[in-house]
Amino acid sequence: MVRLSDDLLDALREVINIGVGKAAGTLNELLGHHILLEVPQVVVLGPDEMAAHLCQRPDETVSLVVLQFSGQFSGLSTLMFTSDSASKLVDLLVGEETPVDELDVIKTGTLTEVGNILLNAVMGSIGNLLGSRLSYTIPTYQEGALGQLLQPIIRQESAALEVTTRFTVQSRQITGEFLLLFEVLSFDTFVAALETALQG
Amino acid sequence: MARILHVDDSSFSRLQIGKVLKGAGHELLQADNGRTGLLAVQEQTPDLIITDILMPEMDGIAFLEALRDQGNRIPVLVVTADVQHDTRSACLSLGAVALLNKPPRDDALLSAVDRALGRGGA
Repeated sequence: MVRLSDDLLDALREVINIGVGKAAGTLNELLGHHILLEVPQVVVLGPDEMAAHLCQRPDETVSLVVLQFSGQFSGLSTLMFTSDSASKLVDLLVGEETPVDELDVIKTGTLTEVGNILLNAVMGSIGNLLGSRLSYTIPTYQEGALGQLLQPIIRQESAALEVTTRFTVQSRQITGEFLLLFEVLSFDTFVAALETALQG
Repeated sequence: MARILHVDDSSFSRLQIGKVLKGAGHELLQADNGRTGLLAVQEQTPDLIITDILMPEMDGIAFLEALRDQGNRIPVLVVTADVQHDTRSACLSLGAVALLNKPPRDDALLSAVDRALGRGGA
């Protein structure tokens, strides 16, 4: 397992915190409900440990939005909702206006755009803090068993860092998780940018 | 009332922003990427364009470049999820009159629309 110094790990948590805080503010704007944030869990993993670690809940049914980023550092950012939370979120945003025969299309479109907005808030804030310009691909949406969805996007040679942070829409029992995966080589670049930022 | 073209690949954002614009009495045209946006500009001559950035086929940056290369003088307002400073700079340097991050507050969107149309606003 890759080791980071306590100072660097603390800086990493803070950078992620700021990004997720921006996303929470954005979600608050969208929903008009207060968002509770949990302290991010940051786990630095060697590539060979990543797949096993990420698939500890392989049978859980989830909605997953994936936004690929590239630039000075590259990887995948994902936003994950349980199927129950995903349905509640869509109901809250467009519920009463949804014709029954268009439910799936509207659910997919809504969750993809919510994911796009929140993942951009997280990654863009991190890029701004570290002075690193990021490019994105069009976000993709999938739903199904967590293990099946994650396995294809976890490449043994390309994953190095897992950042998980959970947020809750207060009073609505809606919970989501961000997960950031960096490619191994660009993880070193990311750490270097973090060290530079830490030195001020 | 103005004729406003909204270019965004997200049906969710087209619905949300469309409601605000129509509620303020504007006529709404929609396209789902820069390429179809360019066609709509040529065929329907909007007073104002609102565009997203991250879109398939032709993204918002390429759309802004194409409008600039055509010598188009229709004001363009960018509404994007991308919060990066460089994206803001790139859009403004390509002629966008302003950039708002998604989701825009209704009053901020309508003020930006008024300003872009030369009608003042806060």
